[in-house]
Amino acid sequence: MLRRTLLAALIAAAAAFALYWWLTAPAVLALPAPTRNPDLANGQELFNAGGCSSCHATPNQPDRLRLGGGLALGSPFGTFYVPNISPDPADGIGRWSEADFVNAVMRGISPAGTHYFPAFPYTSYRLASVDDVRDLFAYLKTLPPVSGTVGDHALPFPFNIRRNVGIWKLLFMDTAPFVADATRSPQWNRGAYLVNAFGHCAECHSPRNALGGIIAGQRFAGGPNPEGEGWVPNITQQGIGSWSEKDIADFLETGDMPEGDSASGAMRPVIKNLAQLTAEDRAAMAAYLKSLPPVQGPTPPKRKEGG
Amino acid sequence: MKRTMIVAGVLVLGAGAVMAQQEIAVQQDNLMKSIAKNQYGVLQKMSKGDIPFDKKAVDQAIAAIEADVAKIAKTFEINPKQDVVNATYGSSPKVWQNKADFDAKIPPVQKAITDVKGKITDVAGLKAAYTTINDRCNDCHETYRVKLK
Repeated sequence: MLRRTLLAALIAAAAAFALYWWLTAPAVLALPAPTRNPDLANGQELFNAGGCSSCHATPNQPDRLRLGGGLALGSPFGTFYVPNISPDPADGIGRWSEADFVNAVMRGISPAGTHYFPAFPYTSYRLASVDDVRDLFAYLKTLPPVSGTVGDHALPFPFNIRRNVGIWKLLFMDTAPFVADATRSPQWNRGAYLVNAFGHCAECHSPRNALGGIIAGQRFAGGPNPEGEGWVPNITQQGIGSWSEKDIADFLETGDMPEGDSASGAMRPVIKNLAQLTAEDRAAMAAYLKSLPPVQGPTPPKRKEGG
Repeated sequence: MKRTMIVAGVLVLGAGAVMAQQEIAVQQDNLMKSIAKNQYGVLQKMSKGDIPFDKKAVDQAIAAIEADVAKIAKTFEINPKQDVVNATYGSSPKVWQNKADFDAKIPPVQKAITDVKGKITDVAGLKAAYTTINDRCNDCHETYRVKLK
């Protein structure tokens, strides 16, 4: 009897593990052949729209194009250390193939076939077009190589098990490509693409559930800062309804707010990136953001106690 | 009776301490708001053409900002450990964890101000001056200013 129970338990465990392994398997993207040569200017524009530098630039040095990594990124699940994505062949992405890069950015899968943690916003970048990601890769290769690797993330169990990210992706990551809305203008569609794909604005400006998935119904409606301090504002018309489209575009360039203030905190580096975009791209993002219907987000805590 | 008095005394002292802390937070907030009134209400608005260029008003605003900036290190000496009630912005506790670094961000602001003081004669000059001063403010706000709602 005992033997039979043990055997049944063993089979059940093996089956459960097989199911887990199957569910959490990284699904790579088969890369179509390139249709054109890389466009470096476009790659640079997307580098700035994507805010790569804000996380990947080596902290405490002035050059935003030295992408040696090392920044500590706090989260409710532990601290992430941003990796080196400079073209250094040993420590960066110098030896990566284009397919490696596209899968990293659009699927969150490393060249070794493991899951990246979603602190890297591939949940937004997945909406990018493959050609754009190729241009970004070509542009990154023109930047200075920086040597030195970054240590492991400091995550407690079970968040440190990369394979678990496979389940998280099944729950919270859609892989459908970006679809333009034919009833809207090309400018609006460009804005929707930049805001949702490369801009990854929703990653901070949306509340998240206990497992760290964005609450879809409150996308862009603000929430607690995932890094722990303060509040990320609602950028639907509920929050910035008094801002004109031009106010939004100006804000994205200078950080100046119409109510007489200037962006601070984590938005400051974002402005530094967006200031480098073409005025047309900023206007497109503004047109899209201005069109977001008002959505009530979570309520900020009344007052911070203690320090 | 004695016990009641002690309890009452402790309560009064406690309330006093809480009020004093809120008072410190309010003082800090008011100082930054005073700077913002000139920096954004005057310099930014004028540089955008929202209000007409007025050299005298520019000089006055810059003098007022200069005087206020000189008070930052002292006004932020004590950590109030709380935000102003219903405030939109507050101070990060990092201010007092790295007070030396916080204080080191102030002289560059002062230099940006002295560099342009009395030299602004038109909107273009004002725009450049506003941006330079504001960039130095932001070098600190990026780390130490927290949005609360």
